[in-house]
Amino acid sequence: MNLTPGKHVVATDFDGGEGILVDLNTKKYYQLNETAMIVWKGLEQGKSTTEIAAEITSNYEVALDQATLSVERIVDNFQTYKLISASQ
Amino acid sequence: METVTTFSGDYGPQRLSVELANICNLHCSYCFRADENLYSPHAEFFPVDLLRRVISEARTVAGITRVSFTGGEPTLHPQFTETLNTIAEAGLTASFVSNGWHFDRVWPAIQANRTALSHVAFSLDGVTRETHDRWRGQGSFDRLVRAFSRCYMSNLPFGLKIVIRRDLMDQLEQIALFAARMGAASLHFVHVMPTSNTVADTAALSLEEQRVAEQEIAILARIFKMNIGLDVGYYNIDEERPPCSPLAGTSMNIDYRGRLSLCCNLSGFRGADNEEDVVADLNVESFADAYAKFVSLAKAQSQRRKTALAALRSQGLTPDLYTGSPCLFCLQSFGKIPWH
Ligand SMILES: C[S@@+](CC[C@H](N)C(=O)[O-])C[C@H]1O[C@@H](n2cnc3c(N)ncnc32)[C@H](O)[C@@H]1O
Ligand code: SF4
Ligand code: SF4
Repeated sequence: MNLTPGKHVVATDFDGGEGILVDLNTKKYYQLNETAMIVWKGLEQGKSTTEIAAEITSNYEVALDQATLSVERIVDNFQTYKLISASQ
Repeated sequence: METVTTFSGDYGPQRLSVELANICNLHCSYCFRADENLYSPHAEFFPVDLLRRVISEARTVAGITRVSFTGGEPTLHPQFTETLNTIAEAGLTASFVSNGWHFDRVWPAIQANRTALSHVAFSLDGVTRETHDRWRGQGSFDRLVRAFSRCYMSNLPFGLKIVIRRDLMDQLEQIALFAARMGAASLHFVHVMPTSNTVADTAALSLEEQRVAEQEIAILARIFKMNIGLDVGYYNIDEERPPCSPLAGTSMNIDYRGRLSLCCNLSGFRGADNEEDVVADLNVESFADAYAKFVSLAKAQSQRRKTALAALRSQGLTPDLYTGSPCLFCLQSFGKIPWH
């Protein structure tokens, strides 16, 4: 499955790794913690959730199953709020 | 009829408006600054040393407590950090108005001087990428939204400024909703100051249209929590009180060359015939001498308008838009719109 960030979303990076998304359709802000921002950037670069989870384990002390769970939860949230779209 | 008041009895704190740069990175076709400045091959920036000297003198002479930076595009100043530092060191408060394009780049300077900044104002031309970028160029809207995000996340109050072009007449509520949703602390509408017959005919509102827009803005101001206002420039034939802070002697403009002038609306006006609004060159004159000239020009201009309004009143005539609007009256009397 291909997960693509919506064109209607504007992302901003902050120094500490956190970020903020603005949904231009709903005009809402979403504050992202460091992990969620890594996921967002990964999706922007066309990475799969598996690749993003692997990236997290190589940069942080976290087990792969734990990282995979976090990434999936974050992606679910992005989908719930229609910030990304999924295609086969 | 609804009326909109911008000044509720006072003209705000004593303040300076300072043009930090002659140049700009964008090309808004309605912009009142002359192309020779905005796109000059010789970028000129307000010297930090002069700023330091002027604010110290202006504090003593005119009791200024605030400085608002404008341009051109103020964030293009190569010493933007030092400029804000100067305000912070002097214990004054600053704000600036920007197109938002370079906000990411100046963000560290803002963070380093956060306590000296009261707020930032961004200019908006539409509430979607398509509508805003049509005037301000591709990519402008996204950069603006990123700038809002930084302010929002860091609790730096920001306001929006929007020129009421004719094509925006039926979008005033949408604009207010957009500003409120983005977390803006204020929304300031302003009527177009026309720079040619074409702009006057296509973008600027007629007096009747202005009244409709002003009624709508008054309603929005009551509905929204956010501070909504209309900047001076609207039809106002009160002969007693000065219509604006420059004519009340409360705010003064200094152009990017360091010259004291009446008001930032008139400075470097596109197609102007003369610069009678410029009173002194602060590079060579003291602020005290310059301020005395400023006060006498402000008085003379107030008197000139009073006389014009009184003459019409005595003849039983209603002032037209170019006399009834104080800014249009200034544009005419200072030779800024020879085409009119
Ligand atoms: C000259 S710009 C300088 C600051 C910066 N470049 C910006 O656009 O915010 C200051 C303000 O003047 C407004 N402005 C420009 N041309 C105008 C006009 N013809 N009538 C009324 N306001 C105008 C802009 O929209 C902006 O809010
Ligand atoms: S309105 Fe501001 S951004 Fe647009 S051209 Fe004028 S100075 Fe530049
Ligand atoms: S143009 Fe004239 S009336 Fe308008 S704000 Fe400036 S000084 Fe006041």
